[in-house]
Order: sequence, then structure tokens, then C-alpha cells
Amino acid sequence: MIAFKKVTKSFGARTILNELDLEIPQGKIVFILGMSGTGKSVLLKNIVGLLKPDSGELYVDRFPVHQMSEHEMMDVRKICGMVFQQPALFDNLNVFENVAYGLRRHFELSEEEVSRRVEESLGHVGLKGIEAKQSHELSYGMKKRVSLARTIALKPKILLFDEPTTGLDPISTSRVNQLILDLSNQLGTTSLVVSHDMESALKVADHIVVLDKGHLLTQGTPAEMQESTIPLIQDFLAEVGAP
Amino acid sequence: MIVRSLNGLGDLLMYLGTVLRSALGSWRRREEIFDKSLLVIQQSLATTVFAGFFVGAIMTLQFTLQVQMFSALSYLGALVTSATVREVGPLLIAFLLSGKIGAFTSAELGTMKVSEQIDAIRCLGSDPIREVIVPRFLGIIIASFFLLSFGLLFSFFGGLLMATTFSGLPWEQYLSQIPRVVSGFSILSGVVKCFVFSLVIATICTYRGYTVFGGAKEVGDGVVQAATQTMIALVVADWFTTFILEGLINV
Repeated sequence: MIAFKKVTKSFGARTILNELDLEIPQGKIVFILGMSGTGKSVLLKNIVGLLKPDSGELYVDRFPVHQMSEHEMMDVRKICGMVFQQPALFDNLNVFENVAYGLRRHFELSEEEVSRRVEESLGHVGLKGIEAKQSHELSYGMKKRVSLARTIALKPKILLFDEPTTGLDPISTSRVNQLILDLSNQLGTTSLVVSHDMESALKVADHIVVLDKGHLLTQGTPAEMQESTIPLIQDFLAEVGAP
Repeated sequence: MIVRSLNGLGDLLMYLGTVLRSALGSWRRREEIFDKSLLVIQQSLATTVFAGFFVGAIMTLQFTLQVQMFSALSYLGALVTSATVREVGPLLIAFLLSGKIGAFTSAELGTMKVSEQIDAIRCLGSDPIREVIVPRFLGIIIASFFLLSFGLLFSFFGGLLMATTFSGLPWEQYLSQIPRVVSGFSILSGVVKCFVFSLVIATICTYRGYTVFGGAKEVGDGVVQAATQTMIALVVADWFTTFILEGLINV
């Protein structure tokens, strides 16, 4: 479980997360929705320790992330994989080396095991056979899927997605949504997905959280969201033509 | 303004401390460091040789006019070599390298930062300082030191060629007075400056790239800051190194 307890995060005079209280249940797919600049990505980066809360408490599994050092955070990052908004592939490495990167650093695996897991992960995202390609040879959508493969290769208990379907074609979007569902069903992975994509949220999420100005605006199941009378939720629903 | 500058200097020194600590255990990454050094040398060797050659040639032109006034043309080689090795050569070539290597490195690291590659490295279980910064930092120091030394050597040839063709001084005479003025200490002084300048370029340019926050505009700002701050730091480092070295020679 992930728990935010009165977490505040500011950049200069601008408060992004404002005493946020939020609990993410284990094994569920939770979509975080909200307008741009409401702190969705900042929320994810706090979970993996890329940013530190200014105040409040943040727990990931049994780890008190708010008071852990960079070195101690390695244990959290082993169980908590993050797929970034941008592909963030390493330009100087080919696809195989990119996907193998975390496997070699987090775990002590044989080369055979590394190869097997790289192949398996690329298979999950529909990109088998491109191991030797350099990142500049890939389209943006392919880069995003390789980035996803790099994260799921670590088999994390918790997966954090920062706008995973932005810039993807409908088929790739559908594949990524299906992958999130499969990982949750087969491995019991907790998935936390930051997105603007209400259509994907309604199809995939067990639970939807809506942030506004660093606060929790509302949360509930997709069915409950469709019944919501909150103007922001109605705007999101209108975008996808939902009733 | 002053407080902000001091804060910035403090952050830079803390960064340097972190990089040096990480660099202590970098022996096992020697191949990568060697590759980075080689890359920097390949990118900058021609420019450095070209610039070094002309620094020597320009110095000869300038000193020719001065020494002819005192009928002391035979001292031309000694004066040019001394000034170039101890002062002008390292500084001018370091300026050139800060523009070439420094801008490239800060832009590369800044782009890695804003495209979330640095964050990805942290999330995938590694330390970006050890993985990304240290090989570049040491690569720049090794390469800059080599390039500066090589540039100085060519500045000597530039001076010699200009003396024989423009100033009408036979090469034997140009060389004859050099040992009287250019001592071992002069050469040591040049070598120390080459090392100090390499450290300045490597520190500021990797720091400016690594601390970029934002997008493409901020990468551009980071590169500009890296270039200007490196040049100011080089001048200050030159003064400071000269001050210390001259102090040592007078002890």
C-alpha cells in the first residue's frame, strides 16, 4: 500500500502538493487524473524518492520514504518501477542494453537470465526482435514501449506510470492498457497511472483519484465517477463522450 | 546577489566533493573513462593544435616589435616561449576548450536531465554521479590536460616558424636563449595551470549540465552559464595559480 499523510511539496513560492492525504490500495489499478500542473507527476516522483516531501509522511509498502536517504531508497526502487512521461532511453545503449540496465544493477542475475527477461519484457510490449536497434532508430511510440519493457523487466510490486499512453497510436494505447490489466491480474501488481486519458481510466482503472490544485478533489470507482456532478469530472467525461 | 553567488559557489564545491569521492572508486570504469577521453581528444585535437600554433605565432609578432626597439631580437625565442608556456598559452587554449568541450558536455548532460534519463538511472538502481558524471569529469580532465599540453607544444612551433619567416631570426638563435629564461619551474608552472584549468572546465561544465531543471530553454541557459562561468573561473584560477606559484618561487 502507498499512503500519503498530509504531504506538502513546493517549488519556490509555488505549492504543488498541499497537505495531500491519499491511500493507494494494494493490487489495484489506480488512475490519477487532473489538469496540468496539479501535481500528478510530482506525486509519482515523491513515491520513488526523486523528489522529497517538504513536510508530511509518505509510506510505500513498509518503507517511510519521507525520511529515507538516497542509498536507502534503492530498496524502494527495487519494488517500485517507474515509467516516465518521456521514454528516457539511454542514447548510447541499444534496446537490449537499455532493458537489461536495471536488471544488472538491482539484481545479481546470470547473463542467460538477463537475456530471458529482456526478451520476455519486450514480448509483453510487442517488440520482440528489436534488441540490437539503437534508440534513435525507433519511433516515439516504440521508445515508450521499450521504456515500459525496461521497467516491467524488474518485476516490481508497484508500477508507476507517468502518462503512459501520451503520444501513442490507438493500437499501442490499447496494448499498454491491456498490459497494465494483465500485470495486475497475473502478478498482483499495484499500478498507479497518472493520465489525462479518461477513456483509458474508465476501461482499466479499479479506482480513480482526481487531484485539483494539489488537493484530493474526489475519488471512487469508474462507475462512481460517471455519476459525479463535479464540473471538472464532467469536463473529463465530456471529452470522451461518456454520459 | 552576493549571498546567492556564495550559495552557488558552496553548491558547486559540494558537487565537486561528491564527484571526487565517487571518482575514487572509478578504477573499474577505466575503459569508459579512456573512451570519453579519446572522444574529447578526437573532437578537439585539430582545433587545439590550430589555436596553439597561432597563439605562438601571434606572440612572436607582438614581441618582435617590442624587442627590435631594444635591439634584443636574440631574446625573442626566450620571451615568446616563457610568456606562452607560463601564461598566455594555457589560458587561451583553455578558453577554446571551455567553448568546445564544455558547451558539448553541459548540453549533453542537460538534455539527459530534462529527458528524464538521469531520473531513470536513479530509478533503475544506479547513481548518476558515478555512472554519468565521473566518466565525463575524468575524461575531460585527462583530455584537457593532454590537449593543453599539446597546444602549448604547437604554440612553440608557431612561434619558431614566425620568428624564422617574419622576424628574420635564424632558428638556432631563437632556440639559444630559451634555456636562460624558460626554467624547469616555468614548464612546471604551465603544467600546473593546465591541470587546474582542466579541473575548472570539467567541474563547471558537468555541474551546469547536471543541475539543469526544466526544458529545452533551460538547457540553452545552462550551456550559456557554463560557457561564461567557466571563462570567468579560468581567469580567476589563472590569477590564483600565478599568485601561488610566484609566491613559491620567492620562498
